[in-house]
Amino acid sequence: MNRKLIITVLLSLVLTACASSKKSGSGESDNTGLGQDTSSGLVDNNAFGTGYSLDQLRALGIEGNPLDYKIVYFEYNSSSIDERSRIIVGAHARAVGGASVSLAGHADERGTRDFNLALGERRAQTVADLMSAEGASGSIQTISYGEERPVDPAHTDFAWKQNRRVEISY
Amino acid sequence: MINRITITSLFYKISLFLGLALVSGAAVSQKIEIDIEGGAVRGIPTAIVPFKVMNGPPPNTQALHEVVADDLRASGKFDPVPPQSFLSLPSRIEEVRYKDWRFINVEALVIGEIWTLGNDLYEVQFRIFDVARQTEIGEGIRIPNLSAATLRTAAHIVSDNVYSAFTGRPGAFNSRIAYIDEVISGGRPRYRLLVGDWDGFGSQEVYASWQPLLSPSWSADGSRLAFVAFTDKGSIVRVLETASGNATTVASFKGVNAAPSWSPDGSKLAYSTSRNGSPDVYIYDFNTQQHQRVTKHYAIDTEPAWSPNGQNLLFTSNRTGKPQIYRYDLSSQTINRITFEGNENANASYDYEGKRLVMVHLGGQIAVVNNQSDQVTPITVAKFDESPSFSPNGDMVLYATEERFEPLLRVASSDGRVRTTLKYVSGDVREPAWSPLRK
Repeated sequence: MNRKLIITVLLSLVLTACASSKKSGSGESDNTGLGQDTSSGLVDNNAFGTGYSLDQLRALGIEGNPLDYKIVYFEYNSSSIDERSRIIVGAHARAVGGASVSLAGHADERGTRDFNLALGERRAQTVADLMSAEGASGSIQTISYGEERPVDPAHTDFAWKQNRRVEISY
Repeated sequence: MINRITITSLFYKISLFLGLALVSGAAVSQKIEIDIEGGAVRGIPTAIVPFKVMNGPPPNTQALHEVVADDLRASGKFDPVPPQSFLSLPSRIEEVRYKDWRFINVEALVIGEIWTLGNDLYEVQFRIFDVARQTEIGEGIRIPNLSAATLRTAAHIVSDNVYSAFTGRPGAFNSRIAYIDEVISGGRPRYRLLVGDWDGFGSQEVYASWQPLLSPSWSADGSRLAFVAFTDKGSIVRVLETASGNATTVASFKGVNAAPSWSPDGSKLAYSTSRNGSPDVYIYDFNTQQHQRVTKHYAIDTEPAWSPNGQNLLFTSNRTGKPQIYRYDLSSQTINRITFEGNENANASYDYEGKRLVMVHLGGQIAVVNNQSDQVTPITVAKFDESPSFSPNGDMVLYATEERFEPLLRVASSDGRVRTTLKYVSGDVREPAWSPLRK
């Protein structure tokens, strides 16, 4: 009970943090949007229903439709969702509706294998919670492979970045 | 007089033999530990004379004296001297001239013979000498009823006797290891659980899967291995009877099931599962078939490991942010954090006496922790070392590492003085676990 409560509180804190950063982000863009409105008259501040302009998406590393991205990435030893991932996950949540979703969580090779199994699940669970919050209403299956299935087996920062991920499929 | 022993009852008879050996062994051991040369502690200079092959064609195996030398060297407590420097090659007690060995600064001397007694029937006899005191330690030992296939085991038994004679501690060379490898079979990765001698020799597949395997753990009697396998729904904990090859699933709850560890009496298995949302430590009781929850925390709790007295469990938790080692006391149900040195510590386990634990320090270095002082002593230098386990006598640590992108299994002496790559293990290897002593 207690634990559930704590998780809920934590999650809502995370989401509030996300939401507030989004608000301030879109608030700024509203201003620039107004400014641009007068000069060009044509800026979509809600590209693909994300609440971001294409330029803003591009600045976050999202070229075009966020739905084209099926993988979100994480920092070392972390299961926190960054802004880019939140946009991608949100887009999928809205797109999937009531269909069922599979989320596969992975870790890089650093840290022990058993711990990484737990970490991979934690990442998948975070994405699952966010998808539910963003409107996915079907069943969401999570699975963790820990560090057992790297995308890139090299021992480099670049490889580790690729490997700390959750793969979204539906 | 020569003591006659068989492999099966060897352990007990060696103990009797040690009753004699310990008297002189205790006296010698002072010299071993504090021998400092050029700032580094050195091992006992040891001569293992090539065993003389008696009345028959020599068996087609690695020379026994080489196996013994490799064993002793890996312990860090002995420095075998190359046979080329020997002035004589005695095989019997009356051929031993102590000054030949003093001259080349040898302190421990082992001689022996391999007798061919029939078709694939051999016997090994050996004796151990303390050169400084010019005495034999104990009496000669016979290991009868050997085949070409078990001669190597005899060599490990010789090593264990030499080890005990000079250190006063049990040897650990007549033991096994389990580990995982990944091979490509028909274009797909195949994961195998393998068991071999402590040095990896004679490794054989005991279980295999098309999905990843990890985290093997030996039961205290060496008859069962618990490990983590995968189904399409996620990781599960399974138990394999090594003799029959029968595998059963112990934990396949929704979520992650991982990191099994046997209770010392073999009646329970501690493991981690996220069945209630967050990974916590649970204990499965084979008698009652009940799963009992041990930790309740929203952080990750995993990698439980029993103390030898069965009274507490180590586990890894990131409840303070980064993984650290905690101890759960089963009777008082209290949890204490026990590692504070280093921003990450994980995967701890005890030695057989419960005096030290070994763990992964700073994300990829093996370190030994003194249970009394909590002092952390790194024993490896690499950044990608993991999966440490003590030898059954606590004097060595088996772990996984890599060199130039090649995965390797290594053994370090528990003081970190010597590190040995297991030369009979190759390929994409990982997750080693050292067995208890053979009964």
